[in-house]
Amino acid sequence: MKPKGLLYRIKKDMRKNYSLYLLVLPVFIFYLLFKYKPMYGAIIAFKRYTPTLGIEGSPWVGLENFIRFFNSVYFKRLLKNTLLLSVYSLIFGFPAPIILALLLNEVRNNKFKKLTQTVTYLPHFISLIVVTGMIVNFTMTTGVINDIIVFFGGERSPLLQNPHLYRTIYIISDIWQEVGWGSIIYLAALSGVDSQLYEAAMTDGAGKFKQLIYVTLPSIMPTIIVMLILKIGSLMSIGYEKTILLYNPSTYETADIISSYVYRIGLLEQNWSYSTAIGLFNSVINLILLTITNKLSKRLSETSLW
Amino acid sequence: MVKRKLLALMTVATIVILSLVGCSSSGGSNSSSSKDTAKNTQGEGTETSEGVTEVEFSYPMNTDKTLTYWGTLNQNVSPNFSNLGETPFAKAWMEQTGVQIEFQHPPAGQDQEQFSLLLADGNLPDMMEYPWMNYPGGPEKAISDNAIIPLNDVFEQYCPNLMAYLKANPDIDKMIKTDEGHYYVFPFIRGDQVLCNTIGLMVREDWLKDLNLEVPTTIDEWHTVLTRFKEEKGATSPFSYEYTMGVLTEENPFTYAFNTSKNFYLNSDGTIHFGAVEPGYKDFLATFAQWYKEGLIDQDLATLALDQVSAKMTNGSAGASIGWAGSRMGVWINAAQATDPNYMLVAAPYPTLNKGDKPEMGQIENRYPNQGGVAITTSCDDVEIAARLLDYDYSEAGHMLFNFGIEGESYTMVDGYPTYTSQVLNNPDGWPLAQSLSAYIRGNYNGPFVQDKRYLEQYYMIASQKVSNQIWGATNAAAHKIPPISPNSEESQEISFIMNEINTYRDEMTLKFIFGDESLDKFDDYVSTIESMGLDRALEIQNASLARYKSR
Repeated sequence: MKPKGLLYRIKKDMRKNYSLYLLVLPVFIFYLLFKYKPMYGAIIAFKRYTPTLGIEGSPWVGLENFIRFFNSVYFKRLLKNTLLLSVYSLIFGFPAPIILALLLNEVRNNKFKKLTQTVTYLPHFISLIVVTGMIVNFTMTTGVINDIIVFFGGERSPLLQNPHLYRTIYIISDIWQEVGWGSIIYLAALSGVDSQLYEAAMTDGAGKFKQLIYVTLPSIMPTIIVMLILKIGSLMSIGYEKTILLYNPSTYETADIISSYVYRIGLLEQNWSYSTAIGLFNSVINLILLTITNKLSKRLSETSLW
Repeated sequence: MVKRKLLALMTVATIVILSLVGCSSSGGSNSSSSKDTAKNTQGEGTETSEGVTEVEFSYPMNTDKTLTYWGTLNQNVSPNFSNLGETPFAKAWMEQTGVQIEFQHPPAGQDQEQFSLLLADGNLPDMMEYPWMNYPGGPEKAISDNAIIPLNDVFEQYCPNLMAYLKANPDIDKMIKTDEGHYYVFPFIRGDQVLCNTIGLMVREDWLKDLNLEVPTTIDEWHTVLTRFKEEKGATSPFSYEYTMGVLTEENPFTYAFNTSKNFYLNSDGTIHFGAVEPGYKDFLATFAQWYKEGLIDQDLATLALDQVSAKMTNGSAGASIGWAGSRMGVWINAAQATDPNYMLVAAPYPTLNKGDKPEMGQIENRYPNQGGVAITTSCDDVEIAARLLDYDYSEAGHMLFNFGIEGESYTMVDGYPTYTSQVLNNPDGWPLAQSLSAYIRGNYNGPFVQDKRYLEQYYMIASQKVSNQIWGATNAAAHKIPPISPNSEESQEISFIMNEINTYRDEMTLKFIFGDESLDKFDDYVSTIESMGLDRALEIQNASLARYKSR
């Protein structure tokens, strides 16, 4: 495609569909202002940033900030914790809404179906602060979860002080909060499956389970793949919010991740350059993962983001 | 770019104006700025044109300027007022000084972020209230970064009240300067040593009486008391405190009992030591690990926040805690007595190893506690007005306003003693005392003034609160408190990196030792790990800062 031809065609298209372009303009500006312009600030990762000197005025330090991070005693642990938490979240968290959607799809009682849907996606609207507050109280030695453990003959213990349980608690609560919300998109995809396909499968003698494997899943596969790519794209970018609300020094061993470390260093200690460098490193890994997944899925399933 | 040029221009302008004013007051030249000054002072009219020095300055100033003032809105003010300017206190302050102030507050909990953003923007409010020693690189860096102005000349020219106080209190004068000798804030000063002992142990007095026990003073006695609370009073977590509240964990009296600290402290040899690697810290960990195993310490220690501890302290699950006399002891007593009239807490002294010893270490604040100090920024055009406004707070009238509020409204003089009125002590709208006081005064938190201990004598209404300061203050803690030192700007980033790594590791291992996840045999490994993280360098920086402080 010759660039000149492309430009010409865009121009022509613009004249024809100017109202559509007008519609997309605010979004376009939003991305420009809030997603692309701030990228300029990322250069402070290579500087020793002082606010009053400004981004331009601060002295260059090259890769000093990156080298410092790679040499940090916590580098390996942070990377490992971030990766493990993301991968586990993916393995356990990703299929959960699909399974819920498939189950709901089989429910014939409409009232029950609607009720279940509403109940499962309500937690999504609870503020994270409240959710973590609940988790902290539930996992205390006097909390509900310990009551249940005792009922089944176990012993009371402070669950959130046990580094081995931290990821489990984090991921289960995540699934609990997001499973209903996440299932909406799959339910939408499911409603689009042609009912003739099921009828055909039934005539061929396929039972419910076979229908699920051979009709339902393949039909919603493109949705699943796109969602998976998106999820992998944000694999490394687990926010610090939930972590800093749930962790404590006794669980740093498994709980401390790159973003919570950046929070402590950058926001609390005001080492802006250092934390930007870590954030940048994080994004680079993210981008690599995203590209790989996209390539793989293109080859395997012919569905991809670009 | 434009912004920076503007900033530079304004700085130059400020300097020019300052030097002009300086000339006029010493030489008596008739420049335009001296006329301004004369107008502001509104003195004996006619003679002023000759020389400003002759004029007796008096409040209120006659100015139509509005100054901007940035600072956090205290949590005792925010429930009832969305802006400090709406409080009777601030209205009186503006009326008495004649200056209009526009208060700007960051959203609660975002003060640090907002502070950074303001600095990055460069267009600063005229006055900024902030713990300026926390400025990355220290206050001297804030001056060289062109954020705030050095105040030496300003104090000299416009601030007779503050200067008089500093002359009379050279030890405080030393605290509020940088190593280079610059003044940078209108400081918050604790007017009496009593006001510096704020945190300590408290224990259920009614339980002690029931069990025929004395208030514990040694580690062994504490062990007995907590054990009997557990066995005979059914306390499930006899000792419980907000571990997640940094300052309470830092000031743990049981750590001090072993003559060490979790953090840096001033050793008897005159140098700064890092307590968490010393043998005393190992003994403390061994004690706490033992107590934790026996169930004397709250099993959920690491996750405890205020609401859980408050619940436990008031419902009989816990019998002892660490905290403040006002916001913890007083609140808990009031809350619990609603259901159990016998409930009473009493302050326990800092524990020792041997009975009868005087505690060597304990919590104490510096009289300049690095909070509530107000700096004048480089964006301020009316330095004199700002300075005079802030200097007023150190005058007799300003002192009364900041500590007691408005005479006849929030306090009355009874035999020369400023006594809060019943309107403040028993607020008609049912506000808690801290909140109703905060409408009229700043004495119960901080700000640019000298805190008066007579406020505290009335703020603590319960007998056991009133004696808490004496009990907690009976230590040699002042000898171990590091004065307000600050590393220089090159060192500050280095030490913050080192200490960030060390503190993370220390906090993590401390809990592991206490919970028994890690055996105390590993203590030597723990120490050598901390040393390998650069502790020696950190101590070197700290001690160099201390040496600079001493030679101020």
